[in-house]
Amino acid sequence: MKGPTQPQPPKLATRLLRSWSKGADIEDLLGDMEEEFDHRLLKDGKLSAQLSYHRHAVSLILSYSLKRRKQSAAYSHYYHSSNLSMISSYFKIAIRNFSKHKLFTSVNIFGLALGMSICLLALSITVAIYRSDEYHENKDRIHQVNTYIWNEQESKTFGSTFPAVADYMKAKYPFIEQTVKIKSGFSPEFNHHGNTISFDGYFAGASFFEVFSFPLISGDPRTALDKPFSIILTQSVAETLYKEEDPIGKSLETEQGTYLVTGVMADLKQTHFYFDLLTSHSTYEQLAPDTNLATDWFSYRNNYLYLLVQPGTNELTLSEALAQVSATASEFNPNHTIELESVSLSNVVPRWNISNAIGIGWDQPSIYFFLSIGLLILLPAVFNYTNLSIARALKRAKEIGIRKVVGADKGQIKAQFIVETVLLAFLALLGSILIFIPLRQEFLDLVRAAEVLDTSMGATQITVFVLFTLLVGLFAGIFPARYFSRLNPIHTMKGSLSSGAASVSGIKKGLFVFQFFVSLVFIIGVGAIAKQYSYVLNQNHGFESDNVLTVPFKNIDKQVAINELSAHPDVKAITTASSLPGILIPTTIDVTPNELDTIPVSQVFIGEQFIPNMGMKLIWGESQQLSQSTQNEELVLVNEQFLKSAAVFNVQSDSLTFTLADGTPCRIVGILEDFNFEPLDRLIRPLLFRYSLEQSQYALLTINSSDIKGTIDDLDALWSGIDQEIRFDAVFLDDEIEKAYSFLRAQIKIFSYLSALAITISCLGLLGMVAYTTENRTKEIAIRKIMGATNQSLYYLLTKDFIKLIGISALIAIPFSYLFYDKLFLYFLLRYGSGLGVTEVVVSILFLLVVGFASIYWQTAKVAHTNPSKNLRYE
Amino acid sequence: MKGYLGEFEELVLLTIANLADGAYGSALLRDINERANRNLSLGAMHSTLTRLEEKGFITSYLGEPTNERGGRRKRYFELTSNAISALNDMKSLRDELWANTKINLAR
Repeated sequence: MKGPTQPQPPKLATRLLRSWSKGADIEDLLGDMEEEFDHRLLKDGKLSAQLSYHRHAVSLILSYSLKRRKQSAAYSHYYHSSNLSMISSYFKIAIRNFSKHKLFTSVNIFGLALGMSICLLALSITVAIYRSDEYHENKDRIHQVNTYIWNEQESKTFGSTFPAVADYMKAKYPFIEQTVKIKSGFSPEFNHHGNTISFDGYFAGASFFEVFSFPLISGDPRTALDKPFSIILTQSVAETLYKEEDPIGKSLETEQGTYLVTGVMADLKQTHFYFDLLTSHSTYEQLAPDTNLATDWFSYRNNYLYLLVQPGTNELTLSEALAQVSATASEFNPNHTIELESVSLSNVVPRWNISNAIGIGWDQPSIYFFLSIGLLILLPAVFNYTNLSIARALKRAKEIGIRKVVGADKGQIKAQFIVETVLLAFLALLGSILIFIPLRQEFLDLVRAAEVLDTSMGATQITVFVLFTLLVGLFAGIFPARYFSRLNPIHTMKGSLSSGAASVSGIKKGLFVFQFFVSLVFIIGVGAIAKQYSYVLNQNHGFESDNVLTVPFKNIDKQVAINELSAHPDVKAITTASSLPGILIPTTIDVTPNELDTIPVSQVFIGEQFIPNMGMKLIWGESQQLSQSTQNEELVLVNEQFLKSAAVFNVQSDSLTFTLADGTPCRIVGILEDFNFEPLDRLIRPLLFRYSLEQSQYALLTINSSDIKGTIDDLDALWSGIDQEIRFDAVFLDDEIEKAYSFLRAQIKIFSYLSALAITISCLGLLGMVAYTTENRTKEIAIRKIMGATNQSLYYLLTKDFIKLIGISALIAIPFSYLFYDKLFLYFLLRYGSGLGVTEVVVSILFLLVVGFASIYWQTAKVAHTNPSKNLRYE
Repeated sequence: MKGYLGEFEELVLLTIANLADGAYGSALLRDINERANRNLSLGAMHSTLTRLEEKGFITSYLGEPTNERGGRRKRYFELTSNAISALNDMKSLRDELWANTKINLAR
């Protein structure tokens, strides 16, 4: 006998052979195989024995011998014959059923298709994100270095690392073939044909194209990023700047210096990077000459490092090296726990929680959130199917009874229903792909950087879709299948099943309420966001934005422009500012209130009369002194929040003086009431108003005119009189502010679509259920009519159950939506919004009731209006 | 003569005759593989055995449960009189041809 330690023949091959032989007697064959296995094991060892075992198994499966044995066994009891004919019969019956019950089939296909479309979108984006950076030749050897930092303030993993790590590691460890340093935050503004165009990109090390396989359309990949101030454009940027011309060798003017175009690369596709252009890392070293990158073991933000290791280097070597480097880094930062980690290129996105990630930083939480939204829409559609199928039990019970009597076992009945559902799901897949394609385009336009993702239908996408559909089919089919397979044939034949299964009860009610709950929450969401949108646009948020025309100065002589423009009779007032109220403030400055601590403060440079023109409220002091700054002391305005932040540090709390980071002493002459200078989704931060015409970027004109267009034309003429070269780009402040809230419009769009889907699916379910319950009560209704029931009482009878259910779901949805939107969602979307109003909730519920009632009425009217004598003869 | 006897079938029949009481699938396979220096699979072996059985050259019976090979029984094969006469026909045909050859085949 064999000991337990002796190798056994491969189980899988044995099982395969057994299942293939379908009960034919193969005992001697298996014995022969095992004997051969043991023989080989002694002679050539385990691997060879296993290989030969598989070979014998396959040869037997294909052999004439087994075919004969199966044929002769086919007449025996134990032989379960070919499934093929059975499966084709399942399909045949499924298709016959579909065509017989067209309403049922189309309701289900349509509902599932709608529900699946969002899931397909979520899946295709997920697949695209997971497949990022798969095309790099060296992808298995490239690692990103991440930094885990633990100190008193924070405990986070950063996607970035210290600048010194790159050179240190390359010099110390021979297994590192190459390093790529990347620094984010390269945002040049080019002067291009009189316009300023700004782009975002990275400072990238010279080895960038050697390590990564990004294709260069033109330029030399080896030298393109060598010299300082060389720049590589992506194709779309090159087209924006140069149209048809060849950009190589062209120069681009910026305030920091002149860049030389050394290459054009294809637009980014399927990568975790996100940039418009690249410049050499040496540019950064020149722009910031004070910082010595080789010894900078302190700043771990925005510096990224990729290592290309030698072929054959194992993970352990790398992690040991990183542990040593972490120890070095910890010596420089005594109060921090620092651990460097390597992440292989294909795992850089998506991650669970990475701070300061490079590029877009697709993360798993958002992916899961999106997938669960998809499921939330899909589930009601699946429930519809389950509900409707079981409700139809009456119609199919006889069929199942006969099948069982003839000899079908439970498994076969289950298989029938599962095949039917899977088939239905695949029909729905075709429909949902039709919805998915335009939907995908819409969605990609809404999401930032989505153009980098390749969501076209490749082999992987299609495989995922097919598997997903299979799962949906199995999940939707399993409950009806179990229900039907348990039916008692005798009861079904007698027809005593009738009323019980067809009524709306128990779990079905629960599913129903759930559907309408989801729909209501989505509709209320649309109302809530739409309300915020009109709130942010139509309310004043602490300043006057009506009739204010903004004109960017560009290079024009500002004082001359102000004098000329204010001369126009329709211009009631004029002032200047470095950034527009209602829009994000780009610049922050460090302020020292007590010569020790600093607080970051948003600064805005304003011109004369800014405060009165914009209707901002001062709670103390006055704004007119602002322009009277002396060389010793700059006079400034601050907001209340500034004082609150300063009060934390300030020893003398009544002090009105502080110094700026560059040493300028300041004195506060006025305090502004807190208001939203930035969009409402931003916290009110400490704010500093300084007087400077030089730093101002915009002229703000308060216009009072009956002919707006004429006035603007006049102003344009005045402007052109000063400088022909510079364009007059006047925009109303309200329009600028509206642009800042475009994210809300995107939200409204998404929510409207989701709620439209949820409502349609719920109403389809309602329709189906009502159709079947009324159909089952046809005779009852006819008798009631004959006995003298009015149409009204019949409607009441047929609809009261459903209306009651919608009522219950509303009762659950209202408090839930209030908590979710008012306390959570809207707070994150818009910190200073107006909350959820009663009107939206009432309107949403009424809307759902009307839609729901309409679909009930459509079906009930049919039954209630027909001649009762016809109905009595029904069936 | 019932049915045509192929080269491999002849080989299998003669090996069954050689192994006598010990003629079952795995033993036949090993014997032929060693003697004829081939690398046959069990599938090919058993297909041939099945064909021979259908042509009436061999019969088979199951043996007793064994200790090795997972306690499974062996299927033993025996030659029928048909096979013996077919093999004899074959041999006499060969002998005749060898005897009358005009070229010296001896090595």
